[in-house]
Amino acid sequence: MPYLLAAHVLLALVAPLLVRRLGRDAFLVLAVGPAAAFVWALAQLARVRDDGAVAESYEWMPTVGLSLSFRLDTLSLLLTALVTGVGALVLVYCARYFSSGSAGLGRFAGVLLAFAGAMLGLVLADDMVLLYVFWELTSVFSYLLIGHSAQLKAGRRAAMQALVVTTAGGLAMLVGIVMLGERAGTYRLSEVVAEPVGGTYGATAVMLVLAGALTKSALFPFHFWLPAAMAAPTPVSAYLHAAAMVKAGVYLVARFAPGYADSSLWRPVLIPLGLATMLLGAWRALRQHDLKLLLAFGTVSQLGFLTLLVGTGTADAALAGVTMLLAHALFKATLFLVVGIVDRATGTRDLRELSGLGRRLPAVAVMAVLAAASMAGVPPLLGFVGKETAYAAFLDAPRIAGWASGLTLAGLVVGSVLTFAYSARFVWGAFADKPGLEPVTPRPVGPLFAAAPGLLAAAGLVAGPMSGLLGEGLAHYAETVGDGHPHSIGLWHGVNTALGLSALTLAAGFALFAARDRVAAVQAKAPGVGNADGAYRAVMRGVDRVALTVTAATQRGSLPAYLGTILAVLVAVPGVAMIRGGQWPDTLRAWDTPLQAVVAGVALIAAVTAVRTHQRLTAVLLVGATGYGVGMLFALHGAPDLALTQFLVESLTLVVFVLVLRKLPKRIVERHSPVTRAVRATIAIAGGLLLGALSLLALDARVAPPVSDAFPKEAYEFGEGKNVVNVTLVDVRAWDTFGEISVLTAAATGVASLVFLRKRTGAVPRAHAIAPPPPGPTPGPTPAPQSVWLPAGALMAPQRRSLVLEVVARLIFHTILVLSVYLLFAGHNVPGGGFSAGLVAGLALVVRYVAGGRYELGSAAPIDPGLLLGLGVLVSGATGVIGLLVGGEVLQTVAFEQTLPVLGHVKLVTSLFFDIGVYLVVVGLVLDILRSLGAELERLDEDEDMDVDAPLAGVAR
Amino acid sequence: MSRLAPRRQLPVIAWLTLVWVLLWGTWSWANLLSGILVSLIVLAVLPLPAVTEGRRVRPLALLRLIAYVARDLVVSSVEVSRLALSPGPRVTSAVLAVRLQTRSDLILTVVAEALSLVPGSVIVEIDSPTGTLYVHVLGVRDAEGAERFRARALHLEHLIRRALPAMTREKEAA
Repeated sequence: MPYLLAAHVLLALVAPLLVRRLGRDAFLVLAVGPAAAFVWALAQLARVRDDGAVAESYEWMPTVGLSLSFRLDTLSLLLTALVTGVGALVLVYCARYFSSGSAGLGRFAGVLLAFAGAMLGLVLADDMVLLYVFWELTSVFSYLLIGHSAQLKAGRRAAMQALVVTTAGGLAMLVGIVMLGERAGTYRLSEVVAEPVGGTYGATAVMLVLAGALTKSALFPFHFWLPAAMAAPTPVSAYLHAAAMVKAGVYLVARFAPGYADSSLWRPVLIPLGLATMLLGAWRALRQHDLKLLLAFGTVSQLGFLTLLVGTGTADAALAGVTMLLAHALFKATLFLVVGIVDRATGTRDLRELSGLGRRLPAVAVMAVLAAASMAGVPPLLGFVGKETAYAAFLDAPRIAGWASGLTLAGLVVGSVLTFAYSARFVWGAFADKPGLEPVTPRPVGPLFAAAPGLLAAAGLVAGPMSGLLGEGLAHYAETVGDGHPHSIGLWHGVNTALGLSALTLAAGFALFAARDRVAAVQAKAPGVGNADGAYRAVMRGVDRVALTVTAATQRGSLPAYLGTILAVLVAVPGVAMIRGGQWPDTLRAWDTPLQAVVAGVALIAAVTAVRTHQRLTAVLLVGATGYGVGMLFALHGAPDLALTQFLVESLTLVVFVLVLRKLPKRIVERHSPVTRAVRATIAIAGGLLLGALSLLALDARVAPPVSDAFPKEAYEFGEGKNVVNVTLVDVRAWDTFGEISVLTAAATGVASLVFLRKRTGAVPRAHAIAPPPPGPTPGPTPAPQSVWLPAGALMAPQRRSLVLEVVARLIFHTILVLSVYLLFAGHNVPGGGFSAGLVAGLALVVRYVAGGRYELGSAAPIDPGLLLGLGVLVSGATGVIGLLVGGEVLQTVAFEQTLPVLGHVKLVTSLFFDIGVYLVVVGLVLDILRSLGAELERLDEDEDMDVDAPLAGVAR
Repeated sequence: MSRLAPRRQLPVIAWLTLVWVLLWGTWSWANLLSGILVSLIVLAVLPLPAVTEGRRVRPLALLRLIAYVARDLVVSSVEVSRLALSPGPRVTSAVLAVRLQTRSDLILTVVAEALSLVPGSVIVEIDSPTGTLYVHVLGVRDAEGAERFRARALHLEHLIRRALPAMTREKEAA
């Protein structure tokens, strides 16, 4: 079973490529996936009948008891056949519904396949958590599919609504699953159902699970998302909203019914909700003019009906439920596909504009009539069989109070009458000749386009007379529910009450249809039934308002306020605890060497001066001086790695600061009252003192032998490196490093997106794409060099060029790069590593940018920084897999050693590649910063200067 | 962006390889070969345009230059310290224009760098077509002091040009 899922994933991934190659015919290829699953499911028929179920299980996360468990029993088989069969047909249909040039078709095909895979996984999963994963996947894919036409506001809104409603239910369901799983001691679905969790606890848990089912199956009061979701392309509606996704809720109810139908809340919740949804949906379907909306409300109604049947928890109702489930998928998918054909052939779905289509598209009309008749419960179609079985089930319902079953039966009959009426309205609306209306002239409909609905309609027709055989199979499921003795189903059970009710339904339904004008008048007078959409909007508005209020109150956008709050809390909570309970060291050593005192003194002076200066640039440089001072302290303390990194980071930070400072006023204007300043000073000094005291305490608080004793030996044995810092980064805590470079990538992307208002991707423009500057005399001393030192130097404004910078940049660039490569390779054993190496390479780029301007940057690194960032994360991530391949863990270091002629002993450590990934990310980050804070700000400035300095701006652009 | 002919890139490759081997700190064939490889890759992946100004290195003259600059460093450091520490009125300084003989970018740059390296003098501006450096010099009081500094700067230029002679004669003649 995992192979089938994997095939779907694979097809989903190649779908965009296929669509690019084959156009819309790619859907025919893609249909192979679901079709194969369909054939596989049918092939399991005999085994499922004999053994009850086919099960497979693979370990997933054994430590938390999760497994990839799959189980195919009667119910799963039915759903699998539906999901894959209808899925394959819908894909075939897509090959003619769309045109090859439709926007986003490749993505659409991929998502549709992925959805089919998720749906298949959902009905096969036997592990509740696995089921939940597939459940949420269907929600996400459905979001993408409904919102396929992203330019339509209605589509986006509907997609969001469906997602919010179904995931809200899904969250409740997760809680229920955890409750059930923890109490039952297993997350196996089959076991949890076989040995149900009882009591109020169990009832509550299963209600939470049902919340997921009710939202997914669009039951009242969550029904409103389904009609809105009709903004999706019609094949999506046919698949998701008729056969697959909305059935997931019904499936879940059917799945839990054998174990939990007798729990205290089950029937009181499901039966009234099901009934209410059936009546409400049918009532509203009667008044729709859009054929697709009519079907959508009809679907809501039918879903209520189905939930009611499978939720009743008697063998007969369950049998009726699964029969109807099959029937509904067949006829509703047919009808949706027919609407799609009508829409494509005539350009409208409004039944007030359609006339005479039945005579022009007779084949399509026949399919629609067959399907609608099945929906209405007309013999000999499968829908009739299901409906009559349902009547029979409530005529003799052993576990339900007599009045309740009578009331339900009455509701069912009324609902079915309405169903007949809207079915008739559908056929009449789409195909009938209407007096006073010009007959439409449809475009021709090809055989492949009509194949899918044709097959589905024919299946509904054949299944009716064959229902006896079908019933025998489905009875395997029904036997697990209630008393376990379902009556047989079939077309003819002799003259009995159920038959009478069927006849009554048909007659009353026809009467209702015939009196449609009067019905419409009544409906127009009584609007506003079940306007849950309004309630949803009110709730969402409320959430938005609360979010805004809370954000406005807490996120004021003032950096000093944030810092002040953080520091104040730090001082107040850990600070107080430290003063009260800290174990102060007895003796203090002032320094190891007097040099430390000198460096610390310089750093202190720089810090104090930085606070007092009024020049921004001076302040930045002074802050940098404190940083270098700290770096010196590291070096003096014997931590060359830290010192190196600190120096490099400090230098780069300075560069970034200066780049940003160009946009800020030169002077720091003091506008704060003395009180504010005093408060800030207090907080700052207290924070500094606290951190100093904390480090003092922490260093003295050691009770165990330090990890550094054994570290060098372990680092070499497990991490294959002598530099413990680097081994720590790339091996011991490689996961953290991987997380960090991911964060770095996100941060770089974030910065760039804030600065780049035009577009995010693409390399920096290069020199050769630009015309050279106009020659001409420039006043005053010209520092411009005589010969070419840098590729884009000549593009700078002459007064902004610096000979020394250009020459020096030219001379040292490659040397810095060699240094950076050395640091990268040597870092595993001596100070260095991917991070510092990347910073060095980044500084080389800084030198080029500072010397030659933004076009020079483009020449220095003619590559999209996003590409570097992504490549880096990819390389690091891929390295993790090597450890797995040789039988270790993810990101475990593996060494390959070999003695080669001439070269001697060569040792290749996989963590080097991890480090290369880090290197690429850091270089990408620096490039991104230079590109956005440097080049792009420069460009924006030049745009602003256009009016003032037209020739220069013209050149630079 | 024109790439250099391989023959003219040889000195660069040699230099980068030397840096590589020195960085590793041990001599081995593996280090040498990997150094050449790294140099080639760096030059190929991130190329720079050809330097139109070719220069040779005279080792002996280079040593003499280094010795001179080193001595100047010490002397000037002492001088600047004396100026900074001695009490009295503010130290005078001047911005001097020093017209060098060379028009070469490289020589101009090296002179400027060497002057900036030495405490007490900082390059403010360079006018490349006329080969003029504008230098901010500490402790210059009068015309005589200015001339002394000019003479020092010109001697420095002379040493640098001796250490890094041009490949072709006509270039230097300009």
